[in-house]
Amino acid sequence: MSSEGRPALPVLTNRVRISRRGWFLVAAAIIALLPFVIQDSYWRTNLIVCAINIMLAIGLDFILGYAGQLNLGHSAFYGIGAYASTLLIMKLGVPFWMAFVLGMVLSSMSGMALSIFAVRLRGHYLAIASLGFAVIVHQVLLNWISLTQGPLGIYAIKPPPDIALPGLPIISFGSTANMFYLVASFAFLFYLLLDQLVRSPIGETLTAIREDEISASSFGINCTAWKVFAFGIGSALAGAAGAFYASFVGTLVPDAFIITESFTILAMVIVGGMGTLIGPVWGAILLTMLPELLRGFGDLRLVFYGAALTLVVLFMPGGIVQAAQIFRARLGRLATATDAGMRR
Amino acid sequence: MLTVALQQGINGIVFGSLYVLVALGLTLIYGVLVQINFAHADVVTIGAFAAYFFTFAFGGNYLISIGVALMVGAALGWLVNAAIFAPLRERGSELLPLIATIGVSILLQNAMLLWFGPIPYAFDSPYSNKVIRLWGGTFITLQNLIIVLVSALTIVLLYAFMKFTMMGKALRAVAQDRETAGLMGINPNQLIMLTFVIASALAGMGGAMLGPILVLTPFAGTSVIVKAFAIVIIGGFGNVEGTIIAGLLVGLIESYTTQFVNPGLTDIVVFTLLLLMLALRPTGLIAEKREENV
Repeated sequence: MSSEGRPALPVLTNRVRISRRGWFLVAAAIIALLPFVIQDSYWRTNLIVCAINIMLAIGLDFILGYAGQLNLGHSAFYGIGAYASTLLIMKLGVPFWMAFVLGMVLSSMSGMALSIFAVRLRGHYLAIASLGFAVIVHQVLLNWISLTQGPLGIYAIKPPPDIALPGLPIISFGSTANMFYLVASFAFLFYLLLDQLVRSPIGETLTAIREDEISASSFGINCTAWKVFAFGIGSALAGAAGAFYASFVGTLVPDAFIITESFTILAMVIVGGMGTLIGPVWGAILLTMLPELLRGFGDLRLVFYGAALTLVVLFMPGGIVQAAQIFRARLGRLATATDAGMRR
Repeated sequence: MLTVALQQGINGIVFGSLYVLVALGLTLIYGVLVQINFAHADVVTIGAFAAYFFTFAFGGNYLISIGVALMVGAALGWLVNAAIFAPLRERGSELLPLIATIGVSILLQNAMLLWFGPIPYAFDSPYSNKVIRLWGGTFITLQNLIIVLVSALTIVLLYAFMKFTMMGKALRAVAQDRETAGLMGINPNQLIMLTFVIASALAGMGGAMLGPILVLTPFAGTSVIVKAFAIVIIGGFGNVEGTIIAGLLVGLIESYTTQFVNPGLTDIVVFTLLLLMLALRPTGLIAEKREENV
């Protein structure tokens, strides 16, 4: 899958395109096969969590890695999506899929509102404004007891409704395999959409803003509008992740969306490689699965996150994607060196 | 009613002066480097634990433990600069050091959690129970009086250092223009290191004094640091006078919200003020005199 991580070549040959499609097919096949390979319900749960984390990580990467806006409020968008969709279903009786869409819309709108609010702010100011936003949302979830039941939480949230297609057995999302297919196919779909976006002129516009806002605006780019757009897309994905999280876990407490959650998503993006789409996917997989494998070591999970985040920034700022490129370049050099006999 | 208002005013100033100590460190670092040190929170926590273990495990005097926490903080400041900020300086990225220190913060907090456990430590200062009666039925504990006096003294000393000593002048010169300061024979790297040491010493000290009045857990510093962020923004990043005013203001807002509105709403009030400030007056309470240094 690593071929997508490479910066786009100036001339896209046909072969590159085909191999990209090929990788998408491979990824789809892996998603289809995973529940057959992994039967254990504990590991299937981890797979679903992993798919949710991928959604969160690529959404944050779109804001941070492409538009260059350090958003520390991703946990808030995640929480807004989760609580909004759940409350719409439980209090107003809205059907699941409509609540899902509305949760995404609300989350997206709050992201856009924050970015409009903070649009004059650069770098650090935005980081702190979004941090403040995350603190406010968490505190509101804790204190608006009549709506969210505060720290007691919301229980018995139903999974998404069964889907009955003509001629097929009823698909129930009570099963972890079906739930995984659902969440993973949405994560995959979002990935494809973002992949189209960042490869279109929109992606180049966002990158231009990231690299130099002043010269971007001198080319007639409306930086404000594009930053708001990036926030809108990224937080909509977080909202979708939140809606899936609520319907999958079945309970909601405000502490699931504390500011630390923003930091763990940030760690996934950075460790994977920000500014590439495939990087955060690898980052989410690694940082979800590896700590589970290390579970024998107790509460080391977050120590591991912190260490990974710091070490990657210091020594490998391009993350896993950069590491893979260096590795491949070394291999390539080794191959040519042995071919040519002498040359380095 | 008036007594309650006065009493909450005193409490607000006690917390406010501690917030000022912590926020000043952030603002000093921002002034010189235009960088945010997220691990500042953990310097506060580690300072508090250092003071705790000095007084309870080694039977030391509480007042001396403040000095111990100061030294521990200074050492941590040196370490954070040497390990994170100095290597990343050449790369010239605006956001990478902030992200790296978020990593350091997660690492330290959870390492402390493994080490010290999640149960809050009862850090009883010997001065917490001694009450001094003031006018009109209000009072202040000796501990809180120590907090206000030590903070005020430290802030005055720091101010004098910045204004009247050669080194303080050099520090301000580096903050204004690092390259020109370098041409004038100032070693910017040394002064950046000095800034980190001073800033973190303040945080460590703040931790030692916060320990007895806060719930001492590995996450104690985080609750303070998010307020310190709000304070530096409200006061204007890099602006020492603004930070002092904003720190006291946030302390007062907090204690009055707790008393007269709802204790659960304090953070919401403070951070709404932060967002409003960012929207209306991003330069802070006191308008920035110099041009933005970016």
